Amino acid sequence: MDILYLLIQNAYPTMTVLLIVALGGLLTERSGVTNIALEGIMIFGAFLGVWAIHGLEIYPFTVMTIIVMILVSLVWVISIALLIHFGLSKLGLKEFSLKRLNFKNPENKGYIAINIIFVIIFTGLIVLSFFVFGIPKQLILIMGIMIGGMVGALYAMIHAYASIHMKADQVISATALNLFAPAFAIFTARFIQRGQQIPFSSSFMIQKVPLLGDIPVIGDLFFSRVFISFYIALALLVILWIIVYKSKFGLRLRACGENPHAADSLGINIYKLRFKAVVLSGLFAGMGGVIFVISTSTEFNVTVAGFGFLAIAVLIFGNWRPRGILMAAIFFGFTKTLASSYTALPVLYDLGFQREYYELIPYIATLIILAFFSKNSQAPKALGQIYDQGKR
Amino acid sequence: MAYKVEMRHITKIFGTLYANDDVTLQVKQGEIHALLGENGAGKSTLMSVLFGLYHPEQGDILIDGQPVVIKNPNDANRLGIGMVHQHFKLVDTFTVLDNIILGVEDTKNGIIQYDQAIKKLEHLIQTYKLHVDLKAYIKDITVGQQQRVEILKMLYRDADILIFDEPTAVLTPQEIHELMNIMRGFAKEGKTILLITHKLNEIKAVADICTVLRRGKKIGTVSVKDTSIETLAEMMVGREVSFSVDKPEINQGETIFKVEHLNVSGQGRHSVKDVSFEVHRGEILGIAGIDGNGQTELIHALTGLKPILSGQVSLMGSDITHLPIRKKYEIGMSHIPEDRQKHGVVMDFDLQSNLILQNYYQPQFQKHSFLKFDIIQDHANELINRFDIRSERGAKTIVRQMSGGNQQKAILGREISRNHELLIAVQPTRGLDVGAIEYIHSQLIAERNQQKAVLLISLELEEIMNLSDRILVMYEGEIVGELDPKKTTVNELGLYMSGAKRGDVHA
Amino acid sequence: MHEKKINMKDVIKNVGKVIYRGLKRAFIVMKPSLVAIGLGLLIGLMIMIIFDAGDAFPALGTLLIGGFNGGLRGIGNTLYQAAPIILTGLAVAFAFRTGLFNIGASGQMMMGAYVAIHIGVRYSLPGTLHWIVAFLAGMLAGAIWGLIPGLLKALSNVNEVVSSIMMNYIAGNLLIILIMRYVFNSSYSRSLNILRTAELPLLTSVFPGSTANIGIFIAIIVVVIAHIILHKTTLGFGLRASGFSMPGSKYAGMNTKANIITAMTLSGSFAGMAGAIAFLVVGKNIGTAFEIFPQGFDGISVALLGLGEPIGALFAGLFLANIRMGAFYMQRYSFVPQIIDMIIAVIVYVTAISSALQIVFKRYREQIKSWSKRIFKKKEGQ
Repeated sequence: MDILYLLIQNAYPTMTVLLIVALGGLLTERSGVTNIALEGIMIFGAFLGVWAIHGLEIYPFTVMTIIVMILVSLVWVISIALLIHFGLSKLGLKEFSLKRLNFKNPENKGYIAINIIFVIIFTGLIVLSFFVFGIPKQLILIMGIMIGGMVGALYAMIHAYASIHMKADQVISATALNLFAPAFAIFTARFIQRGQQIPFSSSFMIQKVPLLGDIPVIGDLFFSRVFISFYIALALLVILWIIVYKSKFGLRLRACGENPHAADSLGINIYKLRFKAVVLSGLFAGMGGVIFVISTSTEFNVTVAGFGFLAIAVLIFGNWRPRGILMAAIFFGFTKTLASSYTALPVLYDLGFQREYYELIPYIATLIILAFFSKNSQAPKALGQIYDQGKR
Repeated sequence: MAYKVEMRHITKIFGTLYANDDVTLQVKQGEIHALLGENGAGKSTLMSVLFGLYHPEQGDILIDGQPVVIKNPNDANRLGIGMVHQHFKLVDTFTVLDNIILGVEDTKNGIIQYDQAIKKLEHLIQTYKLHVDLKAYIKDITVGQQQRVEILKMLYRDADILIFDEPTAVLTPQEIHELMNIMRGFAKEGKTILLITHKLNEIKAVADICTVLRRGKKIGTVSVKDTSIETLAEMMVGREVSFSVDKPEINQGETIFKVEHLNVSGQGRHSVKDVSFEVHRGEILGIAGIDGNGQTELIHALTGLKPILSGQVSLMGSDITHLPIRKKYEIGMSHIPEDRQKHGVVMDFDLQSNLILQNYYQPQFQKHSFLKFDIIQDHANELINRFDIRSERGAKTIVRQMSGGNQQKAILGREISRNHELLIAVQPTRGLDVGAIEYIHSQLIAERNQQKAVLLISLELEEIMNLSDRILVMYEGEIVGELDPKKTTVNELGLYMSGAKRGDVHA
Repeated sequence: MHEKKINMKDVIKNVGKVIYRGLKRAFIVMKPSLVAIGLGLLIGLMIMIIFDAGDAFPALGTLLIGGFNGGLRGIGNTLYQAAPIILTGLAVAFAFRTGLFNIGASGQMMMGAYVAIHIGVRYSLPGTLHWIVAFLAGMLAGAIWGLIPGLLKALSNVNEVVSSIMMNYIAGNLLIILIMRYVFNSSYSRSLNILRTAELPLLTSVFPGSTANIGIFIAIIVVVIAHIILHKTTLGFGLRASGFSMPGSKYAGMNTKANIITAMTLSGSFAGMAGAIAFLVVGKNIGTAFEIFPQGFDGISVALLGLGEPIGALFAGLFLANIRMGAFYMQRYSFVPQIIDMIIAVIVYVTAISSALQIVFKRYREQIKSWSKRIFKKKEGQ
């Protein structure tokens, strides 16, 4: 039984990465934009995210690292500030209404200024505490993931701008991003540190979650030998499902992907919406890149082993739905792990097949399953078509 | 009294084309104001400017006497302007409810709240008798119901200036009658109606005032009561229009096209159920029916674009039921498709290539697989002359750059000049101006006079009545009536088309 | 009998006119690519200046001179590198014209390379026959590898991008299995050297010191054949029609399923040839560490730069190989060769937005024109 648990636990990293990146892909494709640049965005996000992690692990902190700390702390403080405002205004305390933070209203200047001062103070306090107390390991990882995400989002803007506003062929601009990312990573890394690999400390794996990890069966399945990214991925899955199917943004997003002319005639800004979707996918892909590196190896080496493309397969396999994506990610996670873990199963070990045979399984299986299921494809109708307001 | 809507000196240019050229439109409140013009006259463009979809190069708009700027449909909505488009702008995979609230959703923390919307819509549905199931998916409801959804979209946004763009193209005569009642109801309540159409008798039936556009310019504004249909037509086209078609009596020949107990799959009313009919030499058989009652599936099955579940089709005595498309052409079928840009041509090919699209492999055009380009060009030039196909660079013009009318003439020329005995024409004059329509009608009659068999599918009842020797009516995938155009009326056809009447068919 | 005097002057004038007109048309057609290349190089230059201003210009020079930096040896190696990417570029371009995106050129090339090596190592055939058979076998292997995604698309509507990506990974792993089973060189973890007889005739007499072989000639011939097929034959007519409008070609009676399959198979065969050409060289081996050949992705850049035309792929492939070689020589300037990949990425990106860019440029040109008119008017006024 222990072996089974081990196998499942080993499958989680692959599953997690594919799930997160595929969910990002879901957003763009549902809005009508193909995005095969996920691979390049993952590499770009992984590069800078792992670099940030590397920096955060080394004393004394370099200037770049301090910038990272400030950036991340700013995001946290601002998010918490907004949340506090939101929560308090819901509880009836109208002084804290979010409307008071509206930049455009000149009356709010004073209130905004007070908030900014508080933000700066708390950010400073957090950064200071890092210096004094050091940074807990999981927090380093979270910071790295955030950097990877932010960088991924920025990088994706390049693809978004080309394919949405400049009406470029989406496949071509995506290919450009895929070509640029690894070259940039090698170039910059070699220039700054003479080598293209970026190592980090051994493991971010959580051996056992306190309390929850002791529960029989469930503890071994979900709370032992996991990465924090596993929980992040599941949370994102739920959040994304709500956003896509229950929110205003989601409804408009799906409308853009099915019939952009209809959405346009109702006053929805197709360009803005698709742009947001692509940038969000970059956020997810960037995070996925960092997660890939830290959960599958000990250093960044300019590759994400094709997971960006596999995520697309997961998306198509999952029929453009969150539930399907989860299933597909689980499937891939297991079949891929089989290749690296088969030696632990005496049954398979005795068969004497070399590792590469097992590596083949997920890919061949995908082909076979796609062959049977592609007839009922539910791709968004306007997927891949360039939206031109002139055409009616 | 100020006008409700005033559009002054509107000019809208696309590239070098003046879609609207210094057009002024004045509409009073509570008026049903028709915009008449041929396809391409600029009526839809003008209304799109009003609705915020286009920005005019020149001109201004006043609502209730106040100058306004309409930059997008949201601005238009805020001013109370709503539009029911000719090609519905609905998301098929969404429910009716989602389609209506899209763009004006009530939200709480970003999550959509449906309760208020449902309440308001149910009230609107009851008040205006626009019955439709809010939870149904667009792809499952009828075209008439889809139009009601478009109307509800406008009413939900509190529109009191309602624009209807060619609303009757997809309705049965009875539904058209109902729509007109609904429009009169709106007008009585003080709403202002703008009706874009090219159908003269409908203008006569429901409109108060009519503004006529021709080639982007305004020709005049008249009171509908005091103007005859002939005058309206002349204003629309610029010359006298003959409404009759010259169709001599001829002897019909033997049956050369036979369809027996045909069954084709499709969604619900889209399928074809046990359809049988024959077409004789020297005959134009017209099939009438509301769009979406199986005609598209029928033609796709007959021509080979869709598989046949059961039944038999024979042409010139040979069974062509399951033959590949190319073979059907070789045996003698010609086909003018419904969607000319999707099926009829390869838009990015040049004209000469499109004219040999079906027979480029034949020995006259190739030798050992190498295309004979000079012969191909000669062939194209011959067709260009014979059928008056106009294009910028002649045989080498990229079809995408040709006008709709000339594209259709090219397709027509190709289908007629090829060796064939049966011509299937689906919606052959859709979107064309009167000149082109007259030309194509005369060509179809000529085909019939030369003892070819013609199967005509059209949504324009007048076209069916004028051209056909015999009419079949299709409803929900079945042939429900066979009528003699000389003896039947539009109203009777309408009854069959809406399923209210069925008759004996010995087609 | 009157003899018409052939006036040499007139002949030369006419020939000159034709060439001039041809060049002018070629320039107009190629403008998007040239603009893209120009911008890409410009941005590369800027990056180099940021990092090390002093060396930037000489480095750019080296980059552009490319293979010529190394004299005949450099040129020879450039031609050797160019041939495979010309062919993978052709593969991608050919598929593009038929409306398909062949992202699996790498996998097809890999299978072609393996099969060629397999025949080159394990079989013994007389001289010329040996390499011809190995080459054709490689072409066939690539064809099969392209056929599979083609079948899946035609018969089951499987998205060819996804299936091709899968085929790339299958090829990558299959290669390791096959090499280790049939042609293993265990001391170096790679495939064995092919026999002399299986080697493509070298061009070392012309380009001493390099690995140049007749592959470049094969590539040129294949490009011309592809061009003829695509533009002059009934098969090409059908393929292009399907590429522009699948419904239109179906209506016209063309067998669109067959067209998809044919296009992908031909495309795969071109990529397979690329593999054979690259590896039918004694001393060239495939390692047993997992990899997906990068030439497949270069093929995408080549196809795009070449504007989707076979002839375009030829020139784009030569250009790409040349500046890659330039990047190699540029290393003496402390710039990492990856700079060239970044430049290529920018070039591809600019190509993608080229139509929009042209509109922007037009607007700027008109602005400049109106400004200069105003300036000149002022001058006259004075």
